Amino acid sequence: MDAGQMKRQWVDYIKSLFVEGFLDGQFLQLQQLQDENNPEFVVEVVSLFFEDSERLLKDLSFALEQKGVDFKKVDAHVHQLKGSSSSIGAQRVKNACIAFRNFCEEQNTDACLRCLQQVKQEYCLVKNKLETLIRLEQQIVAAGGSIPMMELSF
Amino acid sequence: MGNMCRDLFGRLCGYATLLQKNSTPKGRRIFHRDVEKEEFQYASSHCLSSYYSVFVVRLAIMIMLAILIGLLTILTWHFTKIYTAKSLSSLAYGLRYELLQRPILRMWNILNSTAEITTAQVKLSQYVIRRHSNPSTQAEQVELYEAMRAVTWALFSSRKALNSITINYKNGFVQAFHRDLKDNNTFYIYSDLANYSMAASDTNVMGSLSTRQAWDDKAIHGNFSAKWYREPLDPVSGEKIGKAMQIAPEDLINIAGLSQVPDGVASWHVAVSKFTDSPLLSAALPVWDSSNKSIMAVVGVTTALYSVGHLMKELVELHSGHMYLTSQEGYLLSTSTSAPLLTNSTKPPKLKMAVDCEDDVIRMGAEWLHRTYGKKFPSAHEVHVENAMLGHQKYYIDSFFLNLKRLPLVGVIILPRKYIMGQVDERAFKTLVILISAALCILVIGCVCILILTNGVSKEMNLRAELISQLEARRKAEASSNYKSQFLANMSHELRTPMAAVIGLLDILISDDCLTNEQYSTVTQIRKCSTALLRLLNNILDLSKVESGKLVLEVAEFDLGRELEGLVDMFSVQCINHNIETVLDLSDDMPKVVRGDSARVVQIFANLINNSIKFTPSGHIILRGWSETPSFCGESLNFPLDQKKSRSLQKSRERINPNHAKRASMRDNKVILWFEVDDTGCGIDPSKWDAVFESFEQADPSTTRLHGGTGLGLCIVRNLVNKMGGEIKVVKKEGQGTLIQLCLHLSVPVEHTDQHCAVDLTKNSLVVLLALHGNMGRLITSKWLQKNGVCTMEASEWNGLTQVLRELFHARSSVHNNDFDAHYEGLKSKLLTIQDMRNPTFVIVVDIGLLDLSTDIWKQQLNFLHRYFGRAKFVWMLNHDTSNTIKMELRRKGHVLMVNKPLYKAKMIHILEAVIKERNLELQKKNITSSRTTMKEGDSHEFVEIDSTQFDATSSDDSDISEMAGSNPVSASGDKPTENGYLEETNLSKEESCQSSLSSNYATEDTQPISLSSKAPSSPTAAQDGDSECGETNRVTGSSKAINGKKSLEGLRILLAEDTPVLQRVATIMLEKMGAVVVAVGDGQQAVDALNIMVSAEDFRRESLQKERNTRSQTEIFSCHPYDLILMDCQMPKMDGYEATKAIRKSEEGTALHIPIVALTAHAMSCDEAKCLQVGMDAYLTKPIDFKKMVSTIISLTKRTS
Repeated sequence: MDAGQMKRQWVDYIKSLFVEGFLDGQFLQLQQLQDENNPEFVVEVVSLFFEDSERLLKDLSFALEQKGVDFKKVDAHVHQLKGSSSSIGAQRVKNACIAFRNFCEEQNTDACLRCLQQVKQEYCLVKNKLETLIRLEQQIVAAGGSIPMMELSF
Repeated sequence: MGNMCRDLFGRLCGYATLLQKNSTPKGRRIFHRDVEKEEFQYASSHCLSSYYSVFVVRLAIMIMLAILIGLLTILTWHFTKIYTAKSLSSLAYGLRYELLQRPILRMWNILNSTAEITTAQVKLSQYVIRRHSNPSTQAEQVELYEAMRAVTWALFSSRKALNSITINYKNGFVQAFHRDLKDNNTFYIYSDLANYSMAASDTNVMGSLSTRQAWDDKAIHGNFSAKWYREPLDPVSGEKIGKAMQIAPEDLINIAGLSQVPDGVASWHVAVSKFTDSPLLSAALPVWDSSNKSIMAVVGVTTALYSVGHLMKELVELHSGHMYLTSQEGYLLSTSTSAPLLTNSTKPPKLKMAVDCEDDVIRMGAEWLHRTYGKKFPSAHEVHVENAMLGHQKYYIDSFFLNLKRLPLVGVIILPRKYIMGQVDERAFKTLVILISAALCILVIGCVCILILTNGVSKEMNLRAELISQLEARRKAEASSNYKSQFLANMSHELRTPMAAVIGLLDILISDDCLTNEQYSTVTQIRKCSTALLRLLNNILDLSKVESGKLVLEVAEFDLGRELEGLVDMFSVQCINHNIETVLDLSDDMPKVVRGDSARVVQIFANLINNSIKFTPSGHIILRGWSETPSFCGESLNFPLDQKKSRSLQKSRERINPNHAKRASMRDNKVILWFEVDDTGCGIDPSKWDAVFESFEQADPSTTRLHGGTGLGLCIVRNLVNKMGGEIKVVKKEGQGTLIQLCLHLSVPVEHTDQHCAVDLTKNSLVVLLALHGNMGRLITSKWLQKNGVCTMEASEWNGLTQVLRELFHARSSVHNNDFDAHYEGLKSKLLTIQDMRNPTFVIVVDIGLLDLSTDIWKQQLNFLHRYFGRAKFVWMLNHDTSNTIKMELRRKGHVLMVNKPLYKAKMIHILEAVIKERNLELQKKNITSSRTTMKEGDSHEFVEIDSTQFDATSSDDSDISEMAGSNPVSASGDKPTENGYLEETNLSKEESCQSSLSSNYATEDTQPISLSSKAPSSPTAAQDGDSECGETNRVTGSSKAINGKKSLEGLRILLAEDTPVLQRVATIMLEKMGAVVVAVGDGQQAVDALNIMVSAEDFRRESLQKERNTRSQTEIFSCHPYDLILMDCQMPKMDGYEATKAIRKSEEGTALHIPIVALTAHAMSCDEAKCLQVGMDAYLTKPIDFKKMVSTIISLTKRTS
C-alpha cells in the first residue's frame, strides 16, 4: 500500500468519523495545534483523554455502586468527562455525558447506571476509532508519506 | 262593562302569553344551535342571558302597551256610551211623559166637554120643565116635549162630537138625539106617547127611592111593551127628512135612566154601542124639579172616545211605539192601533181587556205588566220600566194613572227602546268596535314593532356570537399558522445539521493536496453554494423570527465596506453568467467600521441584489453607498443621482483638505447610511412600489413562473430595515430599471470614526490605465481614482487599449505627434500632465475579457502587452472561469498581480499598494549601495500609515468574530478570504518568496489581501474560512494564522487553572502557539497559591526579570502582576473557580491590582455567566474552547489592563 492510497484511506476514515458524529470540529482544531514543536500532540492528548476517561469511568462505576450514591460526586465526574471529551471532539461521548448529567440532577440511580453503560460504550467506540486513526497515521509516516493531517494544518 | 273589560284584558293577556310562547322556543333554538355549532359555551351563555333580559324587557313593554291601549279603549267607550245614554234616557223619560200626557189631556177635555154639555142640558131641561110644570093636559104635555126637543136639538147640533143626548122623563117618555158617526146620519128617537099616563107620573112625583126603583124598572125593562120610533133628521137643520120608524129594542141606543143617577149626582161610565167601534163615554145627570125634591128627568150624554184613539194614532205615527188607555179594571178604552176595541163575537158588543188585545205589542205589554205587578200596582199606578223584553225587542213601558171620579183611567205607553236608544246603542257598538279594532291594530303593530326590535337584538346577538366564533377561528388559524412556521423553523434547524456536515466535509476535501486547480475551484463553488443554502435555511429561521417579533439585532462592530465587497464578489460570480456588471460604489466618507448586525445588513443587500439580478437580463447593478450625518436627514432623499455624486465628490475633497468638520460631525457616533441599489432591469410599475415590500407580493404574478421566488425577499428586507430604524422605498429612476433607496441608522464606534480608507495615493505619481469591459465599473473606479489624485486613462476594448498604450509610451518620444484622434483629445491633456510627472509609475489594469480568448490570438496579444512589462505594472482582472492555461501563461511571463473581478475601491487600493510596495522594493534593490535607512525614510510615512490602520482593523475584526460567533457567512473572518482566494498567487515562484520574506516584517502582512508573501500555500484554505457555520475552519484559519505570522499573545504570561488533563493540555498548546507563556495548575487552590507566591516574590522578580522584560512588550513592563491573565475552570476539585476567584479578588483588595480572570466553563447558561461575573471574573468562555474567541478575549482584556 503506497502512501497516497493510505492517505486517501485516512481521509475517508476521518470523514466517516465526522459523518457518523464521533468527532466534531474540536478534533480538527487539535490537529491544527500539532506542529513541529509538538509533533505528537494529537496522540498525546488522545492518550491523555483515554487515561483520564478510564479513571473517571472507574470512579463513576464505583460511585454508582455505593449504597448511598453521592450524586454530587458523580456529577462532578461526569462533568469532567464531558469537559475532556468535548475538548478532543468526542462528540458522542459528550452527548451521552449531557444526558447523564440530567439524570444526575434528577438523582435517578437506574437511569444513571444506564447512562454510564452508554457512556462506556461510546467511549469504547471512540477509543477504537481513534486508535485505528492513529495507527493509520503511524503507518503513513512509516510508509514515508507526508502525514495527511499536516495538510489539514496547512 | 266590567265583563267586557275583563274579557278584553283576558284576550290581551292571552295574546301576550301567545307571543311569549312563540318567542321563547326561538331563543332556545338559537341557544341550542350555538352550543352545537360553535361549542362556545361561555360566550353563548353570556349572549343568552343578555338575550333573555332583552326579551323580558320587550315582553314587559308589550304588556304595558296592551294594558295602556286597553284602558284607553275602555275609558273612551265608557264616556261616549254612558253619558249619552244617561242624557238620552232622561230625555226619553220626558218624551214618554209628554206623549202620555197628551191623550190623557184630550180625554180630560172630552170628559169636561161632556160634563159641560150634560150640565147645560140639565139646566135647560130644568128651565123648560119648570115653565111647563104640572102639565095638566095632554096638549101641554106635548108642548113641553116639543120645547124640550127644540132645546135639546139646539144643544146637540152645536156639539158635533156628541154621540147622543138622551132625556128620560119620569113618566117613561124618552126623547133622544143620536148621531150615527159611521153613516153620518142623525136620528131622533122617541117612545110612543100613548103608553104614558099622567098618573103614573104623578105617583112618581112624590116618589121615594123605592118608587124610583120601580120607575126605573118600568122605564128600562117594564117598557118592553113601549114602542120606540126613530126618525132620521137633517144633520144641519134638524128637519124631519124621513118617516118615523119603529125600531127594535135591541137597536136602541143606550139611554141614561134613573138608575144611573141613584143618588142624584152626576155619574160616569163607559158604554158600548152597536153603532160605533169605540167605547163611548156616557155621563148622566138628573133634572130636579123646582123644589129640588124630585127628579123630573134624567139627561144622558154620550161621547165617543174615538178622538182619543185618533190622537194616540197621530202621536204614535210621529214617535212610533204604542199607547193605550184602560180602565182600572183593565178594559181597553183606546189604543194607538186600529185594532178593534170591542169583542164582536157576542151581542151586544163588550169591551175587551187589554191582555186580549189583538195588537201583539199592546197585548204583550199588558201581559208583561200583569206578570210583573199583578194586582199590586204601585200606589200611584206609575210604572217606568226601561228594558222590558217583549218578544225579541226591548221596550220602554211607562204607565200613568188618571183618577177620575168613578172612572179611573190607566194610560200605558210602550216605546221600543230602539227608537230612543237605537242610535246610541248602535253608535256605542260601532265606537266599541272601532275602538277595539283600533286597539287591536295598535297592539298588533306595537307587538310587531317590538318583535322586529327583538329580532334586531337577537340578530345582533347572533352576530356577536358569530363574531366571537370568528375570532376563535382566527385565533385557531393563527395558531396553526404559528405551528406551520414553527415546523418550518424546526425543519430548517434540522436541515442545518447535515448541511454543516456537508460543509465540513467540503473543507476536508479542499484541504486535500491532491486536488487539481479545477477540482479545487469546483469544490470551492460547491462550498459556496452549500453556504448559500445554509444561509437560506437561516433566512427561513430569520423570517419566522421576524414574524414572531423575536428578532433581536446584534450590536457588534463590523467592517461594512468589507461585508459589501464580499457580497459583490459573491454576486459577481452569478452575474457573469447573466452578462451583468456588478459595481460597488461606496463613497469615501463611509465609516469603515460600524456597529450593528452585520449578518442582517448583509442579508438586506444580498436580498436586494439578488432581486435585481433576477430581473435584470443585461446591464449593470450598482450598489451605491454614502453616509450622512443625521442633520442632513431630510434633503438627501430627493437627491438626484448626479447631485449626489457631485456631493460625495465634494465631500471627499473636503476630506483631503482639513478634516475637522467631518470629525465634529462624526463625534456623535450616529450616522445615517444611504444606499441605493440601481439596476437596469425591467423595472417596477409605480403603482406597485409600495406593494412589493409586502410578503408574498410580486410586481408581476408571472415572475414566479419566470424567475421563481416567493416574494419574501423584499419583505424581509423591509422588516430588517425598519428594525434598524431606517426606511426603504422604490425611487423614480431615469431610464430603464429600478432604483431602490434605503437608509440605515447605524452607530460608529468612536475609535474607528476616522478610519476611512486612509491611503494617500497622490504622492506616488501613479498613472492607471483601466482597460475594462464594464462601463459602469470602469467609470466609477476611474472617477474615484481621479478624486484621489491618481491620473487615469480608460479603454473599453482591445483596440482602444493598444492605441492608448501606443500613445502613452511612444508618444513620450514624439510628443508632437499630430495623428491624435479627436476622440483622444482628452487623452492628450492627460498625457501632458503625465509627462509633467516625475518618474511616473504606470499601472495597467487589463480585463482578461479584452483578450480574444476564443482563438489563440490571445497569446499574441499577451506578447504585445508583454513588451510594456518593464515599463508598467500589469494587473490582470480575471474571470472566475478563466482557464488555467492563461493563468499559467501569465505567471510564466511574470505577471503576478491577478485579481478576480469585480474591481472595486478596496481592491484597487490593495492593487496600488502592492504596486507601490513592489516599486519600492525595486528601488531598494537598485539603490542597494545607498543607505537603507534613508530609503526607508523615504517611504516610511506611507507604510506606517497603512500598517497602523490595518493592524487596528485586524484586531477589531478579531473581536468582531468572537462576538458574532461566526454568524456572518460572507466575510466574518479576520482576513480577507475572498480576495485571498481570488488573488491567484498560489503557485508563487521561489524568487517571489524572497520578496515576501522582506515584506514579512510587517506583522499584519497576512491581513492584506495583496500579500505577496508567505501565505502562498495557505491561501486556498484561507479562501474558505469565510464560512460561518463551521466554526472549526475558522479556528483552523486562526491557528494557521498564528503559526504563520501573528503571535498575538506574544509575551503574555497566562495562568491556566484546569483540572481535566486533556483540556489543560489543549489549552496550553493553543496559548503557547499564540506565543503566550502558560503555567498550568490542577485546581483553584494551586492557582491561588501560585499567584500569592508570585506576588510575594514580586519585588525580587521585578528586579531579576527587569532585563528580560525589556525585551518584551511595553504592556508587561507596566503590569504589576506576574501573570497577565488567568484562565479559570469553574468546576474543579478542592477549590472551584468561583472560590478561587473570590480568594484572588480578596487578596487584591487594597492594591491597585486587577488581574483579568477568564472563566472557562461547560455551563452555557446565561445564569452561569452572571455568576461568573458576579464573583469577579472579567470574561467568560465556554468549552470546548473556541480558539479565536479565546484569543480575542485575552487580547481585549490584556489591552485594557495595559
